[in-house]
Amino acid sequence: MLTYVLKRVLFFVPTIFAISLLTFILMSSAPGDPAELMLNRAVGGDGGQASDKLAGDKAYNMLRKRLGLDLPLFYFSFSNLASADSLHKISKIDHRKTLDRLTNDYGNWKEIEAYYHSAKKLELTILDIPKDSSTTSALITLRNAVNNLYLSPNDKVIRSSFAEMEQQVGKNSQLAAASPALNATVDAYETVRQSPTTWKNYIPAVHLNGTKNQYHRWLLGDAPWFSASDDKMLSKGFVRGDFGTSYFAKRPVSTLVWESIGYTMTISLIAILITYLISIPLGVFTAVKKGTTIDQTLSTGLFVLYSMPSFWIGTMMIIFLGGGDFLDWFPPTGVADVDADDPFFTRLSMQAAHLTMPLICWTYGSFAYLSRQMRGGMLGVLRQDYIRTARSKGLNESAVVWKHAFRNSLLPVITIFSSVFPAMIGGSVVLEYIFTIPGMGGLGFHSVLRRDYPVVLTVTMFSTILTLVGYLISDILYAVVDPRISYSKK
Amino acid sequence: MSAVKTDSNQSYWAGVKRQFRKKKVALFSFYIACMLGLVALLAPFLANEKPIVCKYEGNIYFPVFKQIGVDFGMGKFPQELLNVKWKKLNYDFAIWPPVPYLPLNQDDNNTQSVSPFAEQNVPSAKWKHWFGTDELGRDVLSGMIHGTRIAFTVGIVSMFIATILGILFGSLAGFFGDENFRMSRGRMWLNILFFFIAIFYAYGTRSYILSDALSESFAGFLLQMLISIFIFIAVMGIANLIALPLKKIPYLKQHVGFPMDMTISRSMEILVCIPTFFLILLVLATVKKPNIYIIMVIIGLTSWTGIARYIRAELLKVRSLEYIEAAQSLGFSKARILLKHAIPNALSPVLIAIAFGIASAILIESSLSFLGFGSGDTVTWGALLSSARQSSQAWWLAIFPGFAIFITVTVFNLIGDGLTDAMDPRLKS
Repeated sequence: MLTYVLKRVLFFVPTIFAISLLTFILMSSAPGDPAELMLNRAVGGDGGQASDKLAGDKAYNMLRKRLGLDLPLFYFSFSNLASADSLHKISKIDHRKTLDRLTNDYGNWKEIEAYYHSAKKLELTILDIPKDSSTTSALITLRNAVNNLYLSPNDKVIRSSFAEMEQQVGKNSQLAAASPALNATVDAYETVRQSPTTWKNYIPAVHLNGTKNQYHRWLLGDAPWFSASDDKMLSKGFVRGDFGTSYFAKRPVSTLVWESIGYTMTISLIAILITYLISIPLGVFTAVKKGTTIDQTLSTGLFVLYSMPSFWIGTMMIIFLGGGDFLDWFPPTGVADVDADDPFFTRLSMQAAHLTMPLICWTYGSFAYLSRQMRGGMLGVLRQDYIRTARSKGLNESAVVWKHAFRNSLLPVITIFSSVFPAMIGGSVVLEYIFTIPGMGGLGFHSVLRRDYPVVLTVTMFSTILTLVGYLISDILYAVVDPRISYSKK
Repeated sequence: MSAVKTDSNQSYWAGVKRQFRKKKVALFSFYIACMLGLVALLAPFLANEKPIVCKYEGNIYFPVFKQIGVDFGMGKFPQELLNVKWKKLNYDFAIWPPVPYLPLNQDDNNTQSVSPFAEQNVPSAKWKHWFGTDELGRDVLSGMIHGTRIAFTVGIVSMFIATILGILFGSLAGFFGDENFRMSRGRMWLNILFFFIAIFYAYGTRSYILSDALSESFAGFLLQMLISIFIFIAVMGIANLIALPLKKIPYLKQHVGFPMDMTISRSMEILVCIPTFFLILLVLATVKKPNIYIIMVIIGLTSWTGIARYIRAELLKVRSLEYIEAAQSLGFSKARILLKHAIPNALSPVLIAIAFGIASAILIESSLSFLGFGSGDTVTWGALLSSARQSSQAWWLAIFPGFAIFITVTVFNLIGDGLTDAMDPRLKS
């Protein structure tokens, strides 16, 4: 048994690895720039002087470095010969998109990079031109035109931006300072246009990135393993318990997860307990009374309960029982704001009042389902020959049911355990949203909306691990309930 | 006319049908599902702010039909009926749909969630909002009728995708197992290598062509997608052509088995470890503007494992049966045996999985739109239900849409339940 458990736990490793990879790929292909979100600034915002712009860019780049976003995504990348090996160093996500498109259209990354840098130079030159009444509007036009260069790979747009800038520079002598930079940019663009190497797009290539990549940094970390390091820039990685910092809350993800996992686990465990306590006797009862009116009523009722969407019941409970315009039986939120100084029983009763409605929603669906399974399992067992034997040798009905049939009928219920467990974590998203419970589901949901990747990754990993543990527990329970199942020998 | 008349009572499906008919509840649910499907199909005729038939300025029009034609790009409304307020026109006569409202259009006289029992500011009982209105004055009943359409589309489209994927992977895993998918070593290596190359040429180099086409029109995208698929097949074909001369080398000629079952089963196990709802949220996060069709596709892409598991288990059983051996000894190709003999016999449990799958797809979609995913240009039951959270006195916003979800989900679950019993050989009388 022990070796079996150990073997299973060892098998967790590749599974978790694969899931972390899958989640990571999904997250990194999501739109939006986390660093941009964290700094709360718009793309290409109106900076003041060139020095301000430089300072802003510097802060932005520092942040990207701290988050590890300046690294390539993975150990290797599979793309084509033309594709940029240093594209990930370009900080702005919109700029990256433009450059990637240009690379696709012309296939000459070196020239495109030169064009991009000359455009950056041009922007700085424009920002350095002193503002006064005669230049203000022209400067805004120029800045917008440069921004268009960053954002559009379209030849027409680029050319019209150039034309616009040339017109403005030609009109106003104070803007002449920008002329050389502008000419350089136009020349760089012409070079890109004139020396296309699109054939490179059609030759597959593998770029190796080594361990300096985002995935490695997130999973294993880039801090040294065996010596202490004070460098705040380094991450210890997921396996060493460093889950990163939330982009939104700007706090360590581990604190956020610990705060919320408590709520989810408490509610889930109570819910599972209630579910099993109700459904097992109910299932046995309906199976024993098979075919009677009471069985039919209960079975139909359970089926109806099972099909009721819990978010509907939750919403209705809040409207009708949660102190709206109707009854005021329970508070509509799931967690009480208790004072730690209150006596224990006051706190308990407050929490209980708050938890009643969520717990009902959490349990009714699964206990209806479980009872049906239990009934089915029991019926299957009661049909078997050894039960007939037990009955015919004169055992009373309760001994037959509880001593002979019960243990064998538990098998289907245990299978369910492995799916009840993850379902409670996953299904809690909607319920936690309805009852505003700050649990794992809600945390995951809001983080997905806010593109808060470190939190999303951690929540996914945690629910995956919990699911795996759920499967393992149910497999162990199998062996406990059914002595015929043995994992130790083949 | 076939020469041998098959006794319909003898066939497997006839037996299933007979058993299913015996289950009164399941049969009843089936009828309800058909009715709901009819509502979904006829939604524009049941709830619309255009009359079905009308006589206006001497001409007879069929505006609802016309609108359907216009939506498909056939024909245009005549000038005098373009951008008109249909309710304000002076008709000679007009036959209105039972619910004369569209789900997204506001009735400005009945804003701020008017209850079905409250006094409504409507000209006559014909214009009454039978299920009330929401905050913006939109008719709830109309939203529910059009929501039926969305719910059914979600169920059918996502289960269609899931079924295709499930049958594909499940049958590959179950029929070939770990040993039976054999080819020469050279061919296998070439196929694996060229798989990546094919992806590269079909999708990698064409990613911008595809995304450009998608932003222009869906038909153009489909065309480009077909070209991509063609390129993919062509590259794989080249791989298998190159494999032919390689057979001369003895080492490469050796036949080896590809662990098809292990590869697919392990991948499925991994997928199952992420809670489904969370997986869907994760995939949704990668889409910039999720709309209802993307949600359908995502639900389909994440819910095929159940069907695949059924098919796999069934085929593992079927493939060792005598008639498959007979087919093999007749020299039929693997593809023919799989497609014509093995899969049809493994399909019955899939039907059960599809019935339950439709129920859960509808449930998932309504919880997603309850949470606020999906665009605002479609009315779904979940979105209606979630508007009850904003105006808590509006019980009608909670009861009716939720009840619709409940009924639909129950009906499909009951059908699945009935099918399970009907196909269970132990229960055959």
